[in-house]
Amino acid sequence: MRNKYRLGIDAGGTFTDFVLAENNGELRVFKSPSTPQDGTIAIKAGLTQISEAVGRSIEEIVQDCDLCINGTTVALNALIEKKGVKVGLICTAGHEDSLEIRLGHKEEGYRYEADFPPAHMIVPRHLRRPINERVIGTGEVDQPMREQEVRDAVSYFKAQGVESVAISFVWAVRNSAHEKRAKEIVQEMMPGVFVCTGSEVYPQVREYTRTSTTVVNAYLSPVMRRYVQKIDDYFKSLGAKYPVRYFQSNGGLAIGEAMQGRAVNAINSGPASAPQAGLFVGKPFGIDNVITVDMGGTSFDITLTKDGQTNLNKNIDFLRYRIGVPMIQVETLGAGGGSLCQVDQYGMLQVGPESAGATPGPVCYGKGGTIPAVTDANLVLGYLNPDAVLGGTINLDRDAAIAAVKKHVADPLGISVEKAAYGISTIVNLNMVNGIRRVSIERGYDPRDFALLCAGGAAGMHITALAEEIGSTTVLVPKVSSVFCAFGQIISDVRYNYLASEPMRLDDDANLDALNAKFEDLEQQGREHLISDGFNTDDISYTRSVEMRYVGQIHECNVEIHPGKICREKMSAILDDFHKRHEELYTYSEPHNPVELVNIESTMVGNVAKPNFQTLESRGDTAEDALIGYRPALFDADGHWTDTAVYSGPKLDVGIEISGPAVVEEPTTNIVVRPGWKLVLEPNQCYRLTRS
Amino acid sequence: MSTSVDPITLAVVRGALETAQREMTLTLEKTGRSSVFNLAHDYSNALFDHFPEMILQGQDIPIHLGSLIPAMKEVAGFFGDDIHEGDVIYHNDPAYKGSHILDCCMYKPVFYKGELVFWTVCKGHLTDIGGPVPAGYNPAATEIYAEGLRIPPVKLWEKGKRREDVVNLLLTNMRARRDQEGDLNAQYGACRVGERNLIALLDKYGVKQIQACIAELKNMADRQMRSLIEAVPDGEYFGSAVLEDSGHGFGEMEITSKVTIKGDKLHIEVQSPPQIPYFINSYEGNSMSGVYLGLMMFAQLPPPYNEGLYRCVSVDLGKKGTLCNAQEPAPHVNCTTTPMETLTDAVRKALEQAAPERVAASWGHASGINIAGIDPRTGEQYVTMVLASIISGAGATQVMDGWHACGPLCCFGALSSGDIELLEYSYPIIIRRYGLIQDSGGAGMYRGGSGTVWEVEPIDHDMTVVAFGEGRQIPTMGAAGAENQLIEPKLGKLVVKGEQEQVYKANTILTVKPGERVANFNPGGGGFGNPKSRPPEAVLSDYQNGLISLEAASQEYGVVIDSRSMSVDQQATAALRQQ
Repeated sequence: MRNKYRLGIDAGGTFTDFVLAENNGELRVFKSPSTPQDGTIAIKAGLTQISEAVGRSIEEIVQDCDLCINGTTVALNALIEKKGVKVGLICTAGHEDSLEIRLGHKEEGYRYEADFPPAHMIVPRHLRRPINERVIGTGEVDQPMREQEVRDAVSYFKAQGVESVAISFVWAVRNSAHEKRAKEIVQEMMPGVFVCTGSEVYPQVREYTRTSTTVVNAYLSPVMRRYVQKIDDYFKSLGAKYPVRYFQSNGGLAIGEAMQGRAVNAINSGPASAPQAGLFVGKPFGIDNVITVDMGGTSFDITLTKDGQTNLNKNIDFLRYRIGVPMIQVETLGAGGGSLCQVDQYGMLQVGPESAGATPGPVCYGKGGTIPAVTDANLVLGYLNPDAVLGGTINLDRDAAIAAVKKHVADPLGISVEKAAYGISTIVNLNMVNGIRRVSIERGYDPRDFALLCAGGAAGMHITALAEEIGSTTVLVPKVSSVFCAFGQIISDVRYNYLASEPMRLDDDANLDALNAKFEDLEQQGREHLISDGFNTDDISYTRSVEMRYVGQIHECNVEIHPGKICREKMSAILDDFHKRHEELYTYSEPHNPVELVNIESTMVGNVAKPNFQTLESRGDTAEDALIGYRPALFDADGHWTDTAVYSGPKLDVGIEISGPAVVEEPTTNIVVRPGWKLVLEPNQCYRLTRS
Repeated sequence: MSTSVDPITLAVVRGALETAQREMTLTLEKTGRSSVFNLAHDYSNALFDHFPEMILQGQDIPIHLGSLIPAMKEVAGFFGDDIHEGDVIYHNDPAYKGSHILDCCMYKPVFYKGELVFWTVCKGHLTDIGGPVPAGYNPAATEIYAEGLRIPPVKLWEKGKRREDVVNLLLTNMRARRDQEGDLNAQYGACRVGERNLIALLDKYGVKQIQACIAELKNMADRQMRSLIEAVPDGEYFGSAVLEDSGHGFGEMEITSKVTIKGDKLHIEVQSPPQIPYFINSYEGNSMSGVYLGLMMFAQLPPPYNEGLYRCVSVDLGKKGTLCNAQEPAPHVNCTTTPMETLTDAVRKALEQAAPERVAASWGHASGINIAGIDPRTGEQYVTMVLASIISGAGATQVMDGWHACGPLCCFGALSSGDIELLEYSYPIIIRRYGLIQDSGGAGMYRGGSGTVWEVEPIDHDMTVVAFGEGRQIPTMGAAGAENQLIEPKLGKLVVKGEQEQVYKANTILTVKPGERVANFNPGGGGFGNPKSRPPEAVLSDYQNGLISLEAASQEYGVVIDSRSMSVDQQATAALRQQ
């Protein structure tokens, strides 16, 4: 760390999480309710808490930070709630329907279901304007662009109130002249309106993926820009020395300028830091098979890391939109502390996916919520302390929670409040278990081989129940659990993926000079970008990969290659690696057949020094020293109350074993230790729970 | 024994089987050479147990839904005791329960500690199988012998050793040999990836436990299907569908079905006219697929799919030598779309009588093309079926409009049309248009999905176009009172745009020259319910988005739209709808 502090701020749907790392190894965590209408309000509130805790002014703290990092779900929420801006698409005539045809395919799992609806169109058909122009696969212009048609399209957009324009032409990845010219026309006729092109956003072959990625980017970038400008201005006003960093879906950081025009790169940034944070926490225990589950107020995110490796997705359907740019693989469900509980028309109890969000929030927050949420049920069940003050500001109202559960769940179902509350917990657990199965069992991984890593403010109350359901016997709950993604962000590097297409056969005639030049060009761009971000040349590193295939194949194998100039010998080594990789993946290779290279990628990394964290030492306390008292809690469907020991997390000493049933209260999360489980606080500030 | 299975293990095994199957599919897609494999998903991968019963079929195309089951038994029976570790069997012949000769199927027995435990099976549509016409669709064939190479069950690998002579015999008979060899390798890779996963699973849980899980999975499927059938009143239900004359001159033909439900059992009897000397005869394996697809449209079950589903179902395909139960020497290559889709309609129609609450409209039938020629970029021959050319509209259902561009019926959304840039990379063509067709969706309270048009121009060479299918004369069947007024835009056709425009409504073989274009139109899906009860705002939205014309708005839906203000003329609409 180059300075006294590093600050991580992760803005979720319900809470904004804060992690402050100090260069003496101390780590502090804070939370404040999210303010979706203006993210800076929540940040101010959090910084005020930090200022009080540290005893210094907000300005002093921010000025003493080597990095302020912001993870945000702004883009994600806008996509989920369909609250991006109105987009117009300018595309090649004859291909205006490629977004809606979606390759003519219906998603797996719904083959014979009669009520599975088609995906929602971000750009309705009348806003997809065809332009007569055509480039072919060689990059040659087959038909020049009719500029008047672009002008007509833009006039139509203006009449329709379009706020953002995507331009994507067939084969623009080979020759982007038409896209560039169309962009100039849009900028001239609609000054100030956001516009992006396919060849900028995702410069790779595949028209549908490129168009879709570009459209999603156009849909979200103006939303992201408003957000980033606000945050950047705020930190500048506090005298921050370095630009704020934002977290991207590829598991790396970026600066605001890079984010404003590329919201699609941040679409799933929130949970993308979980895998590296999970490995960091598991490392002292020799654990590198980790399933992270992050339960916040609105959503439940799952990642799976096997043998230290997490999948990076490219060209996938995300929320049913085809996205090309690389993203950490995350499974997301609508299940959180704020998930609403209601009885539907068939008399079935439903939990989520609708959420009470930050406002009004659960009934017990007393902010106007009337329908009970999962948090209300947890309060009724005794998992939450009725006298607790959440996020520093919210006093919980247990009576209101009981009344809401009674009115909306217990009475309609004709059961007791206890049974209703436990039923809510059971159903939300079941939903989450199904999600965990999708990332593990359905991909052939046995969840019993994984540690379950608990993240997010709400997960601690469900984690042992989830582990029981999936058969996992080890659970890790780091002290920073409730702000886990913010923690992952402060141990992350800046990371930009530079992509290009450079098709060539790798044979004696291969133009390696062109290939080397392309790589060097990408890396030069990346280096300049990182230097402008404030990195020294020494702190910049990069990795390369190429996508290759046998001539005649369509899909590529990704092969990592070493940096540096590619010569003939190196080319044959790359070919060997490709044959080997093909054989590993598909059981055979065809070494006698010609191979071609298609796409290349340089991942540019600005290395960020990692904070040191304190290791705890035993003070020689006993469990009694941390015991707060006892309160009744419910652990079974029959509605029997159990007098349950409640411990203070901050007072609990290292190495002491606590047996369930018990509740351990941390300032920002509660851990429910169900009967049969044991909990120990480990020196790396992580609770380890095991089942006997 | 099934009750002793631990539910978590059962779930893990189920997931691992699905993963094994999915990875087979992935291997085929990622390594395949022809666009049919690597883009279009015209294939199916399945796992069988030692009986051999199907224990898992992926969500690949329904055309192979039924045909894999009898074919596997036929192939295993053919070799009897002569099946060894390291063997790989290949087969395409409909006389041995294959679907059509382009669908070549690989069967790999999986041995564990010397015991045959599983089969991994990979069936895929090769782009050529020899014979007089590229891509195999020969409308002039009067016998199967004139269609292409028949492959009865034959070993390509024997005890781990590839039989180069046999492989060479097959490949020598096919056009675009390098593609076919690449696809054969891809199938081999798929079977081995499946095997690798299954062996890992057996290592972990052992044969006994796995077999107990599989038995339980089949029982679960059986219970599910039985409970659905039991909910339908006992009785006999009838359905029929008309097959148009797609160019053979024998006129329209009717296929009928009778469904008998008794308790939790369902029996289906099919009747069809005698087979004809034209390539639309369907042998047993393929017809089973048609019947099962009709059944699945009724059952609407989520995955996984295994043979247990059909334990309570019996099928009689009618007399040997008929259109839907063909025998040698009937030509058959078009059968996987025609008459299979009409057969499915007939079965679906009978099940509609049985369970009207499960009614949905039919989907557009396949009307598509294959293309072939010499690629001027390489001087090599190319040939492929263009799956993008058959992406029709889906039928409307009880609750919603049909999906656009999701068919045809026989593929039910499982196909992928492939990215146009990748297709242009693979073949010397420019795809001028791939879009939705105005007024093609069947009119209804819920509108059928739009069909698509695929328009292509060859680059610097003469391109052979081979048309197949039907749906060019009879629009897609609607349901629950749906009715079309504008028939023409709802039908398929083939249009060649040269100096003059020529329209074809029958299966033909054409040569398209540089500078000319050929556009293949395919039908939209059927509508559901009375179109006059479709909300005027929905009609307006369809008009604004160019999915329907002003003419269709008034004639089919009785909605009068003022196109200048882009609004519904409420009064005129009310008056028109009252007529």
